[in-house]
Amino acid sequence: MSMKPANPVKKRDFFFTDWSVMSLRNRIAFYYTSATAVLIALMFTSIYFMVESVVYRQFDDEIRNQISAILSESHISAHDFKGFDNIKEIDNENNDNDNDNDIDSKKKKKVNVDTDFVQLVNKNGEIVNKSTNLSWCSLAFNPNESGATFFNSHFEGSMVRQAQIPLINSQGITEGYLIFAVPVKNAIIVLNDLRAIFLFSFPVIILTLFVLTRLIAGKSIRPIEKVIATAEKMSQTNLDQRIPLPYHHDELYRLSATMNALLDRMEDAFQREKDFTANASHELKTPLSIVKGTLEVLVRKPREREHYETRIQFCLKELNRMARLIDQLLMLARHESNKINPRIEMIALYPHLESVIERMRLSASAKGIAITVDHTENDRIAADTGMLEIIIENILSNAIKYSPSGSSISIVTERSANTLVCRITDQGIGIPEEKLLAIFERFYRVDESRNSGTGGFGLGLSIVKKLADLQQIKVSVSSKENRGTTFTLIFPDGVTKSS
Amino acid sequence: MRLLIIEDEPGIAGFLKDGLEEEYFAVDIAYDGKTGLDMALINEYDLIIVDWMIPALSGIEVCRQIRKSGNLLPILFLTAKDTLEDVVFGLDAGANDYIKKPFEFEELLARIRVQLRTKNKADDSLSAGIVSINPATHQVFSGSQEITLTPKEFALLEYLIRNKDRVCTRSRIIEHVWDIHFDSDTSVIDVYITFLRKKLDAAGSGNLIQTIRGVGYIVREPSVS
Repeated sequence: MSMKPANPVKKRDFFFTDWSVMSLRNRIAFYYTSATAVLIALMFTSIYFMVESVVYRQFDDEIRNQISAILSESHISAHDFKGFDNIKEIDNENNDNDNDNDIDSKKKKKVNVDTDFVQLVNKNGEIVNKSTNLSWCSLAFNPNESGATFFNSHFEGSMVRQAQIPLINSQGITEGYLIFAVPVKNAIIVLNDLRAIFLFSFPVIILTLFVLTRLIAGKSIRPIEKVIATAEKMSQTNLDQRIPLPYHHDELYRLSATMNALLDRMEDAFQREKDFTANASHELKTPLSIVKGTLEVLVRKPREREHYETRIQFCLKELNRMARLIDQLLMLARHESNKINPRIEMIALYPHLESVIERMRLSASAKGIAITVDHTENDRIAADTGMLEIIIENILSNAIKYSPSGSSISIVTERSANTLVCRITDQGIGIPEEKLLAIFERFYRVDESRNSGTGGFGLGLSIVKKLADLQQIKVSVSSKENRGTTFTLIFPDGVTKSS
Repeated sequence: MRLLIIEDEPGIAGFLKDGLEEEYFAVDIAYDGKTGLDMALINEYDLIIVDWMIPALSGIEVCRQIRKSGNLLPILFLTAKDTLEDVVFGLDAGANDYIKKPFEFEELLARIRVQLRTKNKADDSLSAGIVSINPATHQVFSGSQEITLTPKEFALLEYLIRNKDRVCTRSRIIEHVWDIHFDSDTSVIDVYITFLRKKLDAAGSGNLIQTIRGVGYIVREPSVS
């Protein structure tokens, strides 16, 4: 028993694994939603801050106006400050409310925070003067800021916008500050509402978007699901399924159409492969059955020497036929996988024609067929000699096989432009026009009854085609029934080939 | 027993004829489906061996046509088509058996014997009275004594015993025991009957074959008295 190594445990980052199995529609939805989320977040933030800054600028402008009004009313100059002594009272003329001042009542009364407040502090932050509406309260002072500043601050539990203006004397020394505050409660409510709306709507929008995108993505990739479903149903034996084409002529339509075309070609190739296998198995099994059966019958009983001899001769004939078939099949198989590269060299055609004719002379003269060659002197071509002779031999042996006794076969070579053309013409039975295209297919025989009367397998011409293709030799055929057939070989321009 | 072989490969048809004739069968050959079908419908055969892929008419079609004519004679498919679907298709077309090429000749013989086996009998042996014959080994016994017969004598006796208690006309005997190349001179039957009777006499069962004058011959199961 052989020890099997334990399955290596795939250690993958969980996160990565999770992503790699994510469905396309989820991924599309996820990417789209993420991008939109970032954009919306940016948009919301910028809108919020823009609104906020607009609001505060409004307040600050108003504060500035108020301050200059107060200063001019109180005869204070912020840049030529004469000291706190001559300031008697600062109050905002806008303070329309309770001026019926009663200190006691004011003390008890809660400070109205909906009005403006003014307060003067010296450089140490001690309150020098303040508006009456401040009553016992005071505004916050920020000692760290020496210049004019605007800031938010809490006053009596509500938000105020505060300005702090330095009061500078003629020597340029800060003597104190004027602090001014306006309530911003309403604005804050608006801003808070805005923020709340943004914070609430953001996840809702993102979630809705995700669900919607997922739905749309799912809908738009549904044709892909169909492709997958069809592909899953398909198997080698069942290639007749086709993907239904979507309604819209989009990329998925093209994908489906392309897949269908591919399936057509595959089905065709499988069918041809199946036919080839069936043909090959029939052609191989038949002589095998004959030899096996004949010998089995032969050994069942003792027989005359003559009987043995005829049967053994018969078997040898069948075996030779089988050997020929195996040779041809192997040749096809080898060239099919393109494992053999032709050794192209510059050669003269005529000597090779002659040597093939010499080999065929016996079978030709047995039928009284004359082979004539009319060749041009200038017949150098680029070809593989071995393959070339096989091509000529196969065409010639067909010509002899299908020609009546006493007819003739003519071989003509001529040069046209840079190419050499070789025509092999017989006066044989010819090939019906509708069958001309099929003759180069493996195991195809014009005579459909597959008996071995003519001794062929239907492989010769497919070998010719294969070998010719390998050497860029063009093969064509023309034929008239009962008149004869002409095979034309057009050899490639050897001059440019060899250089 | 007379067989028809429909097979387009002369090599296969040739050795089948050789081998089967040695097994005392009368064998006719047709090289294409159409001729084969005609022969099958005109002549009386005991069994037909048919190839699937034959010119003019496929073996399947031949098989169907024979069955359509109401003839139930055994048909064996002998073909290189060897997939399961092919076998099922062939048998469904009306064949009795299906043999794939390349095949063993002995197996073919055995399968032919199975098809010729008399109904309701477990083995191939045939008998009438004390005479019994074994088609597989071509042995004939009278009681326990073996009788040596020539192939033609054996074939004739086999046919008569297979059809025992029925009158076998001369023309039917010629049809089933001699092949198509035999000219229908039925006097040859009388010669062989004479030979057979002599040999059976010697073994002590002389009156097995009786003559029905002007018609033919019959083998009767002797009534036990």
